[in-house]
Amino acid sequence: MRILIIEDDVEAADAMERGLVEAGCECVRASDGLAGLDAARQGPFDVLIVDRMMPRMDGVTLVESLRREGDATPVLFLSALGEVGDRVEGLKAGGDDYLVKPYAFAELIARVEALARRRETGSVHTLLRVGELEMDLIARTVHRQGKEIDLQPREFQLLEFLMRHAGQSVTRTMLLEKVWEYHFDPQTNVIDVHVSRLRSKIDKGFDRPMLQTVRGAGYRLDA
Amino acid sequence: MRLPRIFRTTPFRLTLLFLALFAAAASAFLAYIYVATAGEATRRTDREITREMLSLTSVYDRAGVDAVNQSLIERAASERPFLYLLMGRDGKRISGSIEESPVERFHGQPAWTTFQVSDVQSGRPVRRPARGLQERLAGGETLFVGADVGEDQAYVVKVVRALWGAGALVIVLGLAGGVLVSRNVSRSMAGLTEVVEAVRNGDLGARAPVRGARDEFDELAAGVNEMLDRLERSMAGHRHAGDAIAHDLRSPLTRLRARLEAAFLDVEAGRGDPRQALAQALDDTDGVLKTFAAVLAIARLQAAGAALDGAAFDAAELAADIAELYEPLCEDKGLDFKSELAAGLLVRANREFLAQALANILDNAVKYTPAGGAIMLRARRRSSGEVELSVTDTGPGVPEGERERVVERFVRLENSRNEPGAGLGLSLVAAVAAAHAGRLELDEGPGKVGEMGPGLRVALVLPRA
Repeated sequence: MRILIIEDDVEAADAMERGLVEAGCECVRASDGLAGLDAARQGPFDVLIVDRMMPRMDGVTLVESLRREGDATPVLFLSALGEVGDRVEGLKAGGDDYLVKPYAFAELIARVEALARRRETGSVHTLLRVGELEMDLIARTVHRQGKEIDLQPREFQLLEFLMRHAGQSVTRTMLLEKVWEYHFDPQTNVIDVHVSRLRSKIDKGFDRPMLQTVRGAGYRLDA
Repeated sequence: MRLPRIFRTTPFRLTLLFLALFAAAASAFLAYIYVATAGEATRRTDREITREMLSLTSVYDRAGVDAVNQSLIERAASERPFLYLLMGRDGKRISGSIEESPVERFHGQPAWTTFQVSDVQSGRPVRRPARGLQERLAGGETLFVGADVGEDQAYVVKVVRALWGAGALVIVLGLAGGVLVSRNVSRSMAGLTEVVEAVRNGDLGARAPVRGARDEFDELAAGVNEMLDRLERSMAGHRHAGDAIAHDLRSPLTRLRARLEAAFLDVEAGRGDPRQALAQALDDTDGVLKTFAAVLAIARLQAAGAALDGAAFDAAELAADIAELYEPLCEDKGLDFKSELAAGLLVRANREFLAQALANILDNAVKYTPAGGAIMLRARRRSSGEVELSVTDTGPGVPEGERERVVERFVRLENSRNEPGAGLGLSLVAAVAAAHAGRLELDEGPGKVGEMGPGLRVALVLPRA
């Protein structure tokens, strides 16, 4: 995966690069908005990680310029501004995801992977298949090994998200954001309970668990 | 040079402006009166002189210069005498009541003149304005007829003088009135000015006096006081938050530092695996960051005041959504979770904050209610039209005396210290309520049942959309 990091905080960018390289990514860095815009034009990249507040050109302007030029590379905004309004502004400008600083590295990796993957499977499927698991998005049915699994609507959405990101770690925050569309941080383990219910439905009675807990990160659905 | 303060006040300046306007109008008025009266007197005098001159020239034409002379002597004795002067062809005085003509250059054409006559009135010499006409008679003699403009003119002069005096009086009174009004207004303003000065010097407790006159100054003073109240509350809140943050962040940061230091020493000495210390340190950091995020959210809500913009939506739908999120958690903890949601509870609010507030209330209920207890989420419209979102649990509840306190930042009751959380949950709910012009109510739950209870009912009350 080729990733462009546009971030003026050198130390933060160092840490980010180290982590991403370890995760098998190839990183290019730019330390201000204009340099970042130039680098992005040199492309192609799988994901752009863009800080919102930078010297010479802010992240929002940068992404707007890229989108105007027809560049559709997925963008992950990083920002210390976590207000709902800020998030909306970032997404409106053409950002694909928004991560508020400070963040756990697992969260960043999970989101970068999700963005890169989304690009690969951009086409619309009506049938999702992960290993033995099959999801029909039209009939809204789920089968494992041909056996129908009865899911509540929210469980269905949760599983759909996990299937679309099969093989990747997804964090609890991502699930709350993408499945429930909330951006706050519950003090209790509400998400874990939902995931464990889903797990009991799709894994119980089968020889091999598909839904894994990833320590320190979240969950992963494996084929 | 700086004028004394009173002369720089707005009311005084306005007074000056009005006085200037008044003076201009009065001058025009006086000029008109003068022209209409004194001018009329002069014209009448001129008409009389012309008539006299005509009558004398007709005497001359009929009977010659001697008859005129005779006529002059007779007429000079009448009640209101004209002034006469008859001069021969050589210009020498023949007869008359004055010694010489006031007309300085005479070329034979009828000539008018204005001059002064001296007179003695009640023993005092007076000079009075007079008009005169000089004509050449057919035989070459010259005749001058004059008359003082008389009593009329003097009367007009008196009236004008009186009017000038009245004008001067008006101006003096006007200035005095201006000074009085200015002082009155200045006194009204002085309270406000003092307050502004005091606040500028850092005394937020200063308040402007409201005199009870219910005028615009009182309105302004009341407005300023209200603004200061709010500012003071907000400042006090910030100060308290600052202290609380310092207090509450210091302990986990101290722990974190100690742990890192110990891990560092262990690694230096080649002892053991630092991984556990690092994992703990990460957890500590996350805790600090969570606290920080909550404090920031509260601060932003409080800064927004009751002016948070939001869209209208159905609060019952949101409650159903949140219920769905928390229901499995309750079940896992052995709690009986129920929800009772009325339909169509339109509120104008920030959906995200409202969701977070509800989640916080439910988090608390789940945390403090022991297994076997029950939690009820209710959304309804009160008879007042307000929308109430409430959560009732069968946990230990909050003693009545403590209910107000638990809403404050970082306040946690003694027996809950070992639960996770920084004591910001209800503060955030209260801030959300305030930012939506609503309120947070804490009551006793369903009461004591065996070991359970008495429970807590937390209600978020929002105004109708």
